Amino acid sequence: MERVAASRILIPARRKSRRAQMAIEQGIKAFFGGNALVAVIVLALITIFLFREGFGFFGQNLANLQLYRQAGLEYVDIIRAVTTQHEALSRKLSEIRLREVRSLEKRNAAPDEINAALAPFDQFASGFSDTAENLHGLVSDLTEQASALKEQLAAGNNSGSETALRALRERGATFESVSAEMTASVSNLMATAPALPDTAEQKSFDQWKIAVRDYLAGFPVASKKLREWSADEPIPWYRSLSSFLFGREWVTASFWQDWYGIVPLLVGSVMVSIVALVIAVPLGVASAIYVSEVASRHEKRLIKPYIEFISAIPSVVLGFFGIAVVGQAIRAASQSSLFKWVSFFPISERLNIFTAGCLLALMAVPTIFTLAEDALRNVPRGFKEASYALGANRLQTIARVIVPASLSGIVSAVLLGLGRVIGETMVVLLCAGNRIAIPDFSQGLGAVFQPVHTMTGIIAQEMGEVVRGSTHYRALFMVGLVLFTITLGINWLAQRFVARFRMSVG
Amino acid sequence: MVSVVEMPEKTSQITASGPEVRRGLIEIKQLDFAYGDHQVLHDVTLSIAPRAVTAFIGPSGCGKTTLLRCLNRMNDLIDGARITRGSVEIEGIDINAPGVDVVDLRRRVGMVFQKSNPFPKSIYDNVAYGLRIAGITKRTLIDEAVERSLRSAALWDEVKDRLHVSGYGISGGQQQRLCIARALAVEPEIILMDEPCSALDPIATAKVEELIRQLKQQYTIVIVTHNMQQAGRCSDHTAFFYLGRLIEFDGTAKIFSNPRQRQTEEYITGRFG
Repeated sequence: MERVAASRILIPARRKSRRAQMAIEQGIKAFFGGNALVAVIVLALITIFLFREGFGFFGQNLANLQLYRQAGLEYVDIIRAVTTQHEALSRKLSEIRLREVRSLEKRNAAPDEINAALAPFDQFASGFSDTAENLHGLVSDLTEQASALKEQLAAGNNSGSETALRALRERGATFESVSAEMTASVSNLMATAPALPDTAEQKSFDQWKIAVRDYLAGFPVASKKLREWSADEPIPWYRSLSSFLFGREWVTASFWQDWYGIVPLLVGSVMVSIVALVIAVPLGVASAIYVSEVASRHEKRLIKPYIEFISAIPSVVLGFFGIAVVGQAIRAASQSSLFKWVSFFPISERLNIFTAGCLLALMAVPTIFTLAEDALRNVPRGFKEASYALGANRLQTIARVIVPASLSGIVSAVLLGLGRVIGETMVVLLCAGNRIAIPDFSQGLGAVFQPVHTMTGIIAQEMGEVVRGSTHYRALFMVGLVLFTITLGINWLAQRFVARFRMSVG
Repeated sequence: MVSVVEMPEKTSQITASGPEVRRGLIEIKQLDFAYGDHQVLHDVTLSIAPRAVTAFIGPSGCGKTTLLRCLNRMNDLIDGARITRGSVEIEGIDINAPGVDVVDLRRRVGMVFQKSNPFPKSIYDNVAYGLRIAGITKRTLIDEAVERSLRSAALWDEVKDRLHVSGYGISGGQQQRLCIARALAVEPEIILMDEPCSALDPIATAKVEELIRQLKQQYTIVIVTHNMQQAGRCSDHTAFFYLGRLIEFDGTAKIFSNPRQRQTEEYITGRFG
């Protein structure tokens, strides 16, 4: 014993020189530090690039808006709005006719009879659409003039723009006489309005007549706008931002005027995410509760990997599945007689918010499930035991003790699921229908079955085709920045909830 | 409130040298218990007297906590845990019989755990929990029960001004008394305590022990403890377990002064365990 102890040296003599040792340590430090540095620099570069490319948008968009005014496009659009309203009214008339035909068909009227019964109405409708003939002529003339001026101005040629604008305004001034003429002819026509056989349709026809009266009353307002309009009035700087954040139109590569309003895209993304969460939260949280509190060990072993396996499916495959199966199935279901009572069924578009939402829900379920299950499992055993020992049954224990104790963990799970959903690109690009328009909320829940475009989808779709450095290109970067801000906010919120969760349990 | 079984043999209790001659509120008969294939209790037969404190002592892993948890079927929550032989009877009813409502049983047999475990709710809500899950919604009834339970747990004066702060906003000793109050609120007849003072400092321990002595006026208390002095101070009867077997069960004074078994004596005097 003693001999062994004597032969052992407590502190071995240094074999390598001090400098070599130092060099190794420095090397290790440099290796790890270097890796961290590279990561930080890359991240910083990406962020700086994103901001630089994005912020250039405001200047360019302001110029874009200025050109819109200087070339008189804005002036023309005042009159165009009047024609658009007229077209909307004409469309309403044909809608009324369609409903009327349906109600007559229900009474087993023959096609000839229907046509005969609706002849006076048809005559009235075509008369109404004819009243705008002069207006249409005016608008197309003005469009030509303004387009030419815009091209000239965009090319940097300012000579003769004054005269061209004056000509535009002269032609535009005829709106007064055109509108007066229109008012007279529409009023005459209204006096000959036929009665409709169906009372319900008569009611909507009466409403239509009121709308026409309002429409006519709007003419002087438009005239006043035209008179007061000035090409030289500068565009305030904030319009560049507000037209992006609150703009309701995203129109690009148009012969007339490009609009970069994020609202339709934002609404699209938000709607799809809401649908996805409405489906995914109950599924994810409930299955997490089942697995952590109710399931037997055998079931746990089966369910957990199974749900987590869903996240292994590539999103493009999911999108594929969405188009081929889910979209098709939803449309088929909406056409079945089972759902006749739903007012907005059958749906016309197979790819819509709901289809995309369903698939995104599928992608969010594993995230929500895994994190919520973690949170539930981390609830101290003592809470559960104390609850059971007081005579609570399983449901009471889950609802009153386990879920409240892990609530912040569950909320953060849901938030991270939302982050996943809102940033997802492939599925929405394939399944959301890609129509850039704000859904028509007047249909209530039916809005969920309309196609939309999303922020992620538009970047993926348009970024490949834009000219580098163009306003459109920068607008896409701005959309990316908005998306970045949203996901950053969501992650920050989720982290705060997780921190609270740790405190309350710890 | 507390229904006590009438026991004609009660008078003979004092003179009886062993527990087997009298009939208790809780009768454990030849109990074998196993976690999966691992048997942890062997042939335990024990009778627990009403309105008295019975202490279970023994080294770690001797099965005393398992036995305690058999009394309100808390072991049901553990996968693979089961009674393999024998029975537990309370007032003559086998609590593991198929017809027994476990919710009702647990309401009558309250439990206080080793680590104080108030719910992450307010003090008030903690005490009211048992009543609310029992379906009591009337505010005045709950208010009354909360005050009564907190008073019984000697906590009322300390927390009456902050009933709506979190159950974690009070000291460890107070938390443990809050857990006792929570158990008392549903008016049980029996209270099981699983090393209730193991995480407390000496002053808080003294308070809980004092409380136990008071509570035995109304309740039947079974306490598991590692602390021999504690068993000596507050229990009337003591059962000594070793390796899953009941080695000796007798009046506390007798066990501590004159144990019949050598193992008991060795454990009590600190030679092992």
